[in-house]
Amino acid sequence: MTDGFNTVSEDELHAYVDGHLSEPERERIEAWLKAHPAEAEEVRQWQAQAAALKQHFADYARSDAGDRALLNAHGQVRATPASAAGPALRRVAAALLIFVAGAFTGAYAPRLVAPIDPRASSTDIDSLSEQAQSAFLVYASEVRHPVEVGADQQAHLATWLGKRLDYDLKLPDLSTLGFSLVGGRLIPVNGAAGAMLMYEDATGRRLTVLLGRNPQNRETSFRIASHAGVETFYWIDREIGYAVTGEVARHLLQKVAEECYRQFEGTSAS
Amino acid sequence: MSHGRDGPGSGAEAQASAPADFEASVLALMPALRRYSRSLARSDSDGEDLLQDCVERVLARRSQWRGVNLRAWAFTIMTNLYRNHHRRQTQHPEVELEDCLAAEETSADPIQGRRLERALDRLSAENRSVLMLVVIEGYRYQDVAEMLAIPIGTVMSRLSRSRRQLAEAMKEDNVISLRRPK
Repeated sequence: MTDGFNTVSEDELHAYVDGHLSEPERERIEAWLKAHPAEAEEVRQWQAQAAALKQHFADYARSDAGDRALLNAHGQVRATPASAAGPALRRVAAALLIFVAGAFTGAYAPRLVAPIDPRASSTDIDSLSEQAQSAFLVYASEVRHPVEVGADQQAHLATWLGKRLDYDLKLPDLSTLGFSLVGGRLIPVNGAAGAMLMYEDATGRRLTVLLGRNPQNRETSFRIASHAGVETFYWIDREIGYAVTGEVARHLLQKVAEECYRQFEGTSAS
Repeated sequence: MSHGRDGPGSGAEAQASAPADFEASVLALMPALRRYSRSLARSDSDGEDLLQDCVERVLARRSQWRGVNLRAWAFTIMTNLYRNHHRRQTQHPEVELEDCLAAEETSADPIQGRRLERALDRLSAENRSVLMLVVIEGYRYQDVAEMLAIPIGTVMSRLSRSRRQLAEAMKEDNVISLRRPK
């Protein structure tokens, strides 16, 4: 440390509490804290917190009789995690999906019956980002059944969703960005059939790509919407509106959006 | 500035090169994973659910593991699963009563332990996971930044926010319990 005796950053106070400092650094901080009672009190609180947290969760660091069985169970079915869920569970999930679909229909039904108003076009694209965010929040949290059709049936997925959207759907390949396809589902967008594709990286971070028909048949630039850490890039390209949503850094999501745009553009040109 | 050199967690505690060793290595990590999952979750049963989902994911993705630091890799997967879970939890924040009672028994002072849990439940998923990785799991700031793919400045601001919010929540809780009639 080259700074003078009397400058200590907050980062250094954290490093002090967490025991990440060398002995001379520690001594310097301790001397500084003696002269700064308010900060010393805060540091004391942080130390007490740390001790309480360590103690509170210490007992959980244990092996359990069921651990080996758990590993064996999942070790054998690792190729298809979805099949690990029992039929009963899947029935429950199916019932829930019907319920969720119902909730979506309810929420967006007004758009279904609303007359096509030229003034509504700006809200239509904004609602696209809202719908994309809702879909992301609902489905990205699904551990076992995030999608209806998995990536193992890609050709079927593309044909099925493409048919419902009345659009030659090609599933974007995002592997260069580290994301692989989880699968997709049919989802109401602006009160009509739309498609949601889900992608995931090796550590389980998820992204969704939403496609919906755009009755106005116009084009927009890229737009971005951000809500509580969930970012959405969206755009309309003639008859289809697109929205890419994720809880990832904006620059990464932008790359994903650009990659999707590039690949979807290839689709409509063909 | 450098954030110290003696943090524990960065060592590759469970290295496995041969596939046959993989499950044994995960098994050896179970206590650490169980503690981390519980430190993120709102209850014992949520913690076990998260742990199971994580183990399932780790085994399903074993081919994508690059062969270094299995512990950090599993913790990253757990953190991402937790954030996915958490979005759902915030829509259904109920915690079963038995879970609260079970959690109480693990702390030396049951009332204090419960206050701590309540205060932790007010932290965002992002802030909570950084706090636990640093304080309980002993990771250095740079390690956490790499594990969660965020800048180190974000790690520091989340840690700072967690510590302040936790202190604030414990204080508020204190005020409420003083008002309680005897």
